[in-house]
Amino acid sequence: MTRPSGRQLGGTVLTVFVMSAFVGLYAPLVLVVINAFNKNVLLTSWAGFTWKWVKQAIDNGRVRQDFLNSAEVAIVSSVLALAIAVPAGLWARTASRRGRQILDATTYMRIVLPEIVAALGLLILFSRLHVALGIDTVIIGHVVFNSAYAIVIVQARLATMTTVLEDVAADLGARPWRVFRRVTFPFLLPALVVAWLLAFAFSFDDVITSTFLAGSGTETLPMLIFGLARFRVDPEVNAIGAGLMVITLACLGFTLLVAHGRVTGGLILGGRARRET
Amino acid sequence: MERVQGGVASPTPYGTPPESGVPYGPGRRPSRHAASAFGRRAALSTPAFGWTLLFFLIPLAILVVYSFGQVNYDTLAVHWGWNLQNYSQIGQSLYRDAIFRSVRLSVLATLACLAVGYPVAYWISRQPAKRQRLFLLLLIIPFWSSFLVRTYAIANLLADGGPLATLVRSLGLGRLNIQYSSLAVGIGIVYSYLPLMVLPLYVALERLDPVVAESAHDLGARPWRVFWRVTLPLSAPGIVAGCILVGIPATGEYVIPTILGGGKTLMYGNLVATQFQEAGDIPLGSALAAALTAAITIVALFGRRAARSAEDIT
Repeated sequence: MTRPSGRQLGGTVLTVFVMSAFVGLYAPLVLVVINAFNKNVLLTSWAGFTWKWVKQAIDNGRVRQDFLNSAEVAIVSSVLALAIAVPAGLWARTASRRGRQILDATTYMRIVLPEIVAALGLLILFSRLHVALGIDTVIIGHVVFNSAYAIVIVQARLATMTTVLEDVAADLGARPWRVFRRVTFPFLLPALVVAWLLAFAFSFDDVITSTFLAGSGTETLPMLIFGLARFRVDPEVNAIGAGLMVITLACLGFTLLVAHGRVTGGLILGGRARRET
Repeated sequence: MERVQGGVASPTPYGTPPESGVPYGPGRRPSRHAASAFGRRAALSTPAFGWTLLFFLIPLAILVVYSFGQVNYDTLAVHWGWNLQNYSQIGQSLYRDAIFRSVRLSVLATLACLAVGYPVAYWISRQPAKRQRLFLLLLIIPFWSSFLVRTYAIANLLADGGPLATLVRSLGLGRLNIQYSSLAVGIGIVYSYLPLMVLPLYVALERLDPVVAESAHDLGARPWRVFWRVTLPLSAPGIVAGCILVGIPATGEYVIPTILGGGKTLMYGNLVATQFQEAGDIPLGSALAAALTAAITIVALFGRRAARSAEDIT
């Protein structure tokens, strides 16, 4: 296709702009990792490679405790999210139109509404009921948004499945539970893995809900980073942050493996976008 | 109930469970949704609705009730009442100005996001299919890595004496001093929410038939005119969706202004949080949160209608 040279020039400018946008997207993340190994405490320039900050972070008892707290919250809340999302997704397939609308509306509300509003509402509820804040209340708060993402993903997967196979299985005499175990569940499995990993990653990374619902005695890893990062840039924070990034990125890597290279992000972001368009 | 429905057309007695092993006689059609019988039980929706009701809808309702209450500043006890004092307080200059600044910043950041995101989405949508997938993936990877760390990464970049400041100084452009400024908060928002802007834009642009632009070109329109009169209007639904997806969370943002604004530049989210954490005025904080929720609902509904009507036109 031949095009006027003005267009070609425009095309080059556009490509350069887009490439620099992508560099700009990754440069700060690379910087975090580099500064986790930077000898210069002030991080103003590169002063040589060191493991010091990483060691310091690993040896820090507070970091280790917070890591365990985060892991507990993320594991429990993501499992609960699935336990809520799978039945809801199955129910929605045959539910009435009104029922589905209510499910969709409450799901997207939980995704779109700023997290801080939901967290503060829960905070008031717990203090009214004299529930002691701690790891349990954090888990409850995380499930509120986690399960919404899980429902979006499970529903997206179920939407691509007709009920023919299940009908056939039932016609051949399989009881409902057996139909689910042998037909529906295997089909859903990739979506379940994706939903679980996403819920885990979102929970592991969460700051806002944790900050308001943890009380004074409990701390998660993101809360620790958040508390330190608001005052200064510090190489040990970089080391912890790089670790947090590795964990969330590992979840993404697994997700992509499961999804076979399909752009799964489209699923979740598509879920966010779907409400609006 | 479903089974009765399924059995209407069959000669067998109503209510015969499809899984009962009754052989299919002539004319006996198994319940059409036999397999879905499992999925039909209303109980399946109980965990989802129960959790949403208990831990989301009820807390929101309590928030609204609180927003009409009053706090006793000596005992910090909340007194119930149905007055609008908290809401009129929001209208007073102290809060009104803060809200105005925060909304203005999020609007500017959203527009900056659009300015960066549109060329990116346009470029990706013009690539071969395989490369489109690659670059979409490259766009999403940072979005999936820790939100907190990404914000902290921008703090690394913009810090006094950090890489950007060093670069600016070595270019002889003077001292860069944007750490803990509203500009830094804006940069953080653009950086963090860029994928949320690009994806709906990409979806809208990718759907465009290139033939439309080509024919405008063949009819003699210059490239810029083709873009302004054809491509841009046709991608309007994507623009609306992207701006809403970025603008809403940006307005309620709490983490980015706390880390990058250094407590000086407050967004709406911080304003709400301060009432709970420091001021102890929970009713006022609730009123601020309820007002934000109402505003967001209106914008989301309006945006959906705008996107839909834009789609109808095109």
